[in-house]
Amino acid sequence: MNISKTQRGRATAAVSLAAVLALTATACGDDGSDSGKEGSGKGEITFWDNNGGPRTAVWKEIIQDFEKKYPDIKVKYVPIPIADVQSKYDTAIAGGGLPDVGGVGTAYLANMVSQEALTPLNDRIKDSSLNGKLVEGMVESVKDAAGRGDEMYTVPTSANNGALWYRTDLFEAAGLDAPTTWAKFYKAAEKLTDSDHNKFGYTIRGGAGSIAQALDAAYGQSGITEFWNGDKTTLNDPKNVAALEKYVALYKKTTPSADVNNDFTKMVAQFDTGTIGMLSHNLGSYQDHLKALGKDKFAGVPNPIGDGGTRVQVSNPVDGLGLFRSSKNKTAAWKFIEFAASHESNSKWNESAGAIPANTEAAKDPWISEAAPTELAAKALTDGSTKIVQLPYYLPDWNNISKADNEPEFQKLLLGKTTAKDFLDKMADELNKAQKEWKEIGNG
Amino acid sequence: MTAALAEKNGTRAARPAAPEGPPPATPRRRPGRERAFDDVPRWQIYVPLGIYLVFTLVPFYWMFLFAVRPAGSTSLVPWPMTGEHFSKVWNERSFAVFFQNSMIVGVCTLVATTLVALAGGYALARFDFRIKNGFMLALLCSQFIPGALMLVPLFEIFKNLQMINSLGSVVIAETVFQLPLSIILISGFIKNVPPSLEEAAWVDGCSRFRAFCAVVLPLLRPGLIAVGSFAFVHSWNHFLFALMFLSEQDKQTIPVGLNTLIGADSVDLGALAAGGVIAAVPVVIVFAFIQKWLITGFSAGAVKG
Repeated sequence: MNISKTQRGRATAAVSLAAVLALTATACGDDGSDSGKEGSGKGEITFWDNNGGPRTAVWKEIIQDFEKKYPDIKVKYVPIPIADVQSKYDTAIAGGGLPDVGGVGTAYLANMVSQEALTPLNDRIKDSSLNGKLVEGMVESVKDAAGRGDEMYTVPTSANNGALWYRTDLFEAAGLDAPTTWAKFYKAAEKLTDSDHNKFGYTIRGGAGSIAQALDAAYGQSGITEFWNGDKTTLNDPKNVAALEKYVALYKKTTPSADVNNDFTKMVAQFDTGTIGMLSHNLGSYQDHLKALGKDKFAGVPNPIGDGGTRVQVSNPVDGLGLFRSSKNKTAAWKFIEFAASHESNSKWNESAGAIPANTEAAKDPWISEAAPTELAAKALTDGSTKIVQLPYYLPDWNNISKADNEPEFQKLLLGKTTAKDFLDKMADELNKAQKEWKEIGNG
Repeated sequence: MTAALAEKNGTRAARPAAPEGPPPATPRRRPGRERAFDDVPRWQIYVPLGIYLVFTLVPFYWMFLFAVRPAGSTSLVPWPMTGEHFSKVWNERSFAVFFQNSMIVGVCTLVATTLVALAGGYALARFDFRIKNGFMLALLCSQFIPGALMLVPLFEIFKNLQMINSLGSVVIAETVFQLPLSIILISGFIKNVPPSLEEAAWVDGCSRFRAFCAVVLPLLRPGLIAVGSFAFVHSWNHFLFALMFLSEQDKQTIPVGLNTLIGADSVDLGALAAGGVIAAVPVVIVFAFIQKWLITGFSAGAVKG
């Protein structure tokens, strides 16, 4: 059986036509750099929730309130899974189809700003009801993370903070004090461990997200309060090396050996099912602990205080709302951002998430004093008792360095295949190079 | 064949005379591969299989346990049982909608992949054309291209075709990525059907299409089931295209819905496990019904093709 020349010709023509159509189609696409329009302030806007799912219910409530106040504007809500939000944004920036408003965390803000996807918000904030109503520390964080001087590319909505969760029932039974200092922390970790009966004093984060926790432990113990000393990072300072050595020595001694693969879901699950005495995780898991253990069996304190008598911790990502440059209805989109960051909505959202509000009025609401860990964390961030080491979220390479490049190295450190010094030297070297490159292109 | 029948047929006479002495012992084992299996004690087969089964089923048991035990329970048995997690994901977290969308994507991908793979496979099996080998090579090479690499071009194409936020975009993308392997598999099955069968149908007055439908198609059932089920399961489980091309909650599919159950700082393990059970059920049912055809299909395509 043979295919005829006519048939072959038709097939070739069809393939050529398809290729031409495809190329034509791709050539027509707009990207995230489209400057958009102010629009009429009415109609439909699209909002991407960067932590879709867990916060869907509260966002829908806020959207309902907003649509009641502004009946001419409809908000299309799109929940995006947190683990994939950056790739979703990157695809939309490259291929088009960005929303009008999106949730943007400081961890990937620099990446989006460098692609010119977001519009600066300073003037809009200045002329709005939000002027002077945003927590100063969070404003500084979003400015710092964007890496464009005083320009703000998101309106901060909430901050999280690291907490040391501990089982109050186990501490009482063992006659231990709350782990408010690093000395008490190490003592409790040892005393609560009974590995023969599968009981451990602590769970260490060895998998995804391990670097921030390790840095919290290193700077928290060393008492170093600045990430940069001139153009060089303080990361591999001998004090940090010694602190990290002490911290990773807990692995297998007072932690399960499976912790080398621990991400936050596994850590939280272990803590909530009752075999672990202490857990370092942020305020976001408060509701999980509450559901699993009940309010009397656990408590949370901020990062322990070091030998120098000062509490030092690394900065945590600040969440915010960004207005996309390509929006065709920026007026309506800004109204939504302003509404969502207002006292009532911001309070509602943060109470639901157990996070620290960015709106100064919301931060004074009674629910905060009822949620003890949130209150402690909020105080730690605002009363000056805690020194915050600002991590360089503004570096476009920060995510690569702190995740893909060095999380496997931290696992090697836990397994004894490298030393704390080598681990910190390698990471410091990468950060110094990234900082130099960032400055060479006119930043800083 | 009995001895009497053998004698009647003369086969006995054809054999050499039996030697004197005691009659040979009746062979206790059958020859070939079955004999090798008979030599192995049963426990040597069942113990490793049992261990493998336990190893495979423990994660499923764990998922089921988390799905049915109340929040906060640390029990290792699924009792007391609750349906709260299923109710939550089905009603509050829109899994009813996600399930429907996944079913539409899965069934449409199955139909589209099977039909196009049949046409393409038939062409490869029955026609000789100049670029046939190059085309086969291209099909094989396309298997090495990860979906993520094609994401932005596909996104732009669908956007310009006004197909973003349409389940059709996911069906097309899934079908396109399923087709190379499916075409190769189907062409292998068609090659196993002797062309003389089709030619006999032509002699009887059938057109090529009629002959294909009447003679070839019924013989391809194992292959079609293998290819179709593979396409369905793959599109049912695939996450990336649905995440990127669908930006409305009421269009999202089960894998995307499952991922939204994992928050930035918290995870509802009960709801996640219940969602996992809901996602696994159709796949388990599909495999339970078609496993016989699937094994026949893959072995025929793999060995004889």
